[in-house]
Amino acid sequence: MQTPDATQPAVQAVLATQRFGLGARPGENRAIAGDPRGWLRAQTVPEMELPTPLASLPATGEDLWAFFGALFDIGRKTRRARRRDEPIPDGDLAFERHFAPRYQAALHARLSVAAETDTPFRERLIHFWANHFTISSARPVTIALPPSFERDVVRPHVMGRFEDMLGASTRHPGMLLYLDNERNLGPNSHRAENPERRGLIPIDPATGLNENLAREILELHTLGVDGGYSQQDVTRFAMTLSGWRIRVRPFFRSRHDGADLVRFDAKSHEPGAQTVLGTVYAQENGAQAEAVLHDLVRHPATARFIAQKLVRHFVADVPPEPAVARIAQVFRESEGDLAEVSRALVELPEAWQRPSKLRRPEELVIAGARAVPGSLAAGPDLVQTLTEMGQRPQWAPSPAGFPDVASEWRGGDALWKRLAWAQAAAADSADAFGGPNDVLTRAADVLGPYLGDRTRRALGAAPPTTALAALLSSPEFQRR
Amino acid sequence: MKITRRSLLRGLGGLSALHLAGWPIAGNAGPKGARAQARLVAVFLRGGLDGLAAVPAVGDPHWEHARAGLARTVETIGAPRPLDGLFALDPRLRSLHAMYTRDELAIVHACALPYRERSHFDAQDLLESGGTRPFAQRDGFLARGLASQPAIALAPVLPLSLRGSVRADSWSPSSLEAPSDTLLDAASGMYEGDDLFGATVAGARAARDVAGAHEGRRNADTSFPALAKAAAAFLSRPLGPRVAVLDHGGFDSHSLQDQAYGGLDRSLRALDAGLGALRVGLGERWQHTIVVVTTEFGRTVAMNGSGGTDHGTASTAFVLGGAVAGGRVLSDWPGLAAHALHEGRDLRPTTDLRAVWKGILGEHMGVSPEALGRTVFPGSTDIAPLTGLVRA
Repeated sequence: MQTPDATQPAVQAVLATQRFGLGARPGENRAIAGDPRGWLRAQTVPEMELPTPLASLPATGEDLWAFFGALFDIGRKTRRARRRDEPIPDGDLAFERHFAPRYQAALHARLSVAAETDTPFRERLIHFWANHFTISSARPVTIALPPSFERDVVRPHVMGRFEDMLGASTRHPGMLLYLDNERNLGPNSHRAENPERRGLIPIDPATGLNENLAREILELHTLGVDGGYSQQDVTRFAMTLSGWRIRVRPFFRSRHDGADLVRFDAKSHEPGAQTVLGTVYAQENGAQAEAVLHDLVRHPATARFIAQKLVRHFVADVPPEPAVARIAQVFRESEGDLAEVSRALVELPEAWQRPSKLRRPEELVIAGARAVPGSLAAGPDLVQTLTEMGQRPQWAPSPAGFPDVASEWRGGDALWKRLAWAQAAAADSADAFGGPNDVLTRAADVLGPYLGDRTRRALGAAPPTTALAALLSSPEFQRR
Repeated sequence: MKITRRSLLRGLGGLSALHLAGWPIAGNAGPKGARAQARLVAVFLRGGLDGLAAVPAVGDPHWEHARAGLARTVETIGAPRPLDGLFALDPRLRSLHAMYTRDELAIVHACALPYRERSHFDAQDLLESGGTRPFAQRDGFLARGLASQPAIALAPVLPLSLRGSVRADSWSPSSLEAPSDTLLDAASGMYEGDDLFGATVAGARAARDVAGAHEGRRNADTSFPALAKAAAAFLSRPLGPRVAVLDHGGFDSHSLQDQAYGGLDRSLRALDAGLGALRVGLGERWQHTIVVVTTEFGRTVAMNGSGGTDHGTASTAFVLGGAVAGGRVLSDWPGLAAHALHEGRDLRPTTDLRAVWKGILGEHMGVSPEALGRTVFPGSTDIAPLTGLVRA
């Protein structure tokens, strides 16, 4: 097949929507063909207003309240069952049932924003950063919180400073619960020495220190696993983080968001200076962890780790070293200005080539919803479909989030489910394609000159439903 | 009657499905005799199983002190069942206990990967890659050791342990209708020569046909017991896969592991139900089967402030099946005294998990010592296989 000339604006438009965006909507490639790079750059500004579907989701405080309500409820039922010598109800399952409708609503909001947005590059980055700072519904304690985390932590800072996003993430109730900082008690703190002072979640002060948040911030959020830190650094950093806890009282009353729901509890904080990565932090209380975070953002390993992840996401599963070096440099020199880093991504020559990354399951479904407007609402149950494809959104198996490389999900079964999804989505949306060449026209609209001959033949020969399923299954559409 | 792909394949006795998948048909190369019967199941427990919760060392003089919360655990869950003087088995592991008394279960205690950090991410990588440095090895130890054996992963995606094997595929339940023959044919045409999908369509078709009964159900069941049952179905096919890989999660018990409604409770019960289902589902093949259950690391000896345990080092491995010389706990027990603990907090590892796998892969699956030491577990020639786990 001929390689389209990537210096042509029409070709660049397709690369802009595929490689940087979330897949083209009908007419989108044509509309931006005048200045595809300018279209991307124009999206590297903060979001002015929350998209409507997200604005109506519950506040973080309501989610927390719902969680504790469910917890009490399950506790009560468990105690009753034990008293009557009946089978103990399955707590995790009860949780899932309790939160299934909330989860469905939040996921649908996320997907419909992605399907309809005019700023798909920024939206991609929001998904990227939400995956970077994963909090997952797979842990019952945070089952309700990923949507509000994404809204409170990621969206406001996606074109802001990495330091602010890291700070907001570290202090969000979702992260504090997901990585157990709620239970991270300084061994010499006031509460440790006065066992009667307990929070809502019981803490046995004898062995209070919990390193989970400290470890994952170093390994997954900043330096990366090869970032050169030791177990000692993890422990000391955990001590600086002790005391950041959720605030119990306010959310019993009404709507509250992120910052109101967290407090620095000096009585849980480990007193004294701590040495992390060779630097002594003598700050008091909450300022101590803030100071560590401040330095982590400026650590060269962080710039490299973030650059690697971004380039892997936007360019190739094996990120080309010059691109990584370039992004790391911009990250370092701008001290983590994410708008500048995003603009630097647009300037990477490595990105302006034939789409080669396999779309992650959620990306595939979003691209389908953009290429065939209306298909999101009409199509199959996406929670179920994406779960079966191995990447139930906001349900990552670990704090590492979902992997961003095709080798993780390209087996025969994955392909089978992609085809099954394509068929189901096409069956529900093919009515919009009446004429014999309508699907082919849409394929050319969305894929532009990258629409290959084999696919063209497969689409041309088939009735609309099969043709549409084939478009969504085609190797071109499966990639970005 | 309309001829569909399925009816066609049924007519051919399912052979063509397996042929499509590249699995050997009768007469093709493959191990002969008893080895040809051998089946292997690998179960990876995600999150770091607390080996001391599953197999408490009730006879250790420091046990009571180490697990001060024990009384409460016994009250909510029941007393552990004694195995020998030193060890007992969590009462929720009922099927496992029955296997133990039938000499079908061997427990290896205080074993760990050659890894002394405490990251799930790294440790799970090593658990499946068989390497010694996280992310240094891009394929899986099962793929390297059993490259010629057809294998199936009961998972939506091919797990790292099997990555690199040309004969491995994955399968998990789908609630959507199967792609039509028309679409499959169109896909075959479009994917011709495609580096990612080119060879995959036929394999996907075949796996679906073997597991056909599970297809197209609403709310497809992906619990560990359900997947274990499906694994037994795959392994029971005369010409089907000989190796199955399953994951089971929820062992990261940072809190409330002493509670009857905690996550660990649910995970242990499902583990036991699934392993029981494997035994039942495999029928006669159980006699030729070995199931190896391992986890990425153990947990701290002391409970933390939240009624849970944090990331630790050594844990337990379960080796079960009709082909196992079981009914015993193998352990060079390091003890729970404070001075005996790894870094003053974790159960000290005395057996390398690779030794367990080397014993099984060598004696049960016929992998050569040379391959085990150099390619399956690179640089492990000095780690002697744990022999005698396989029934003579």
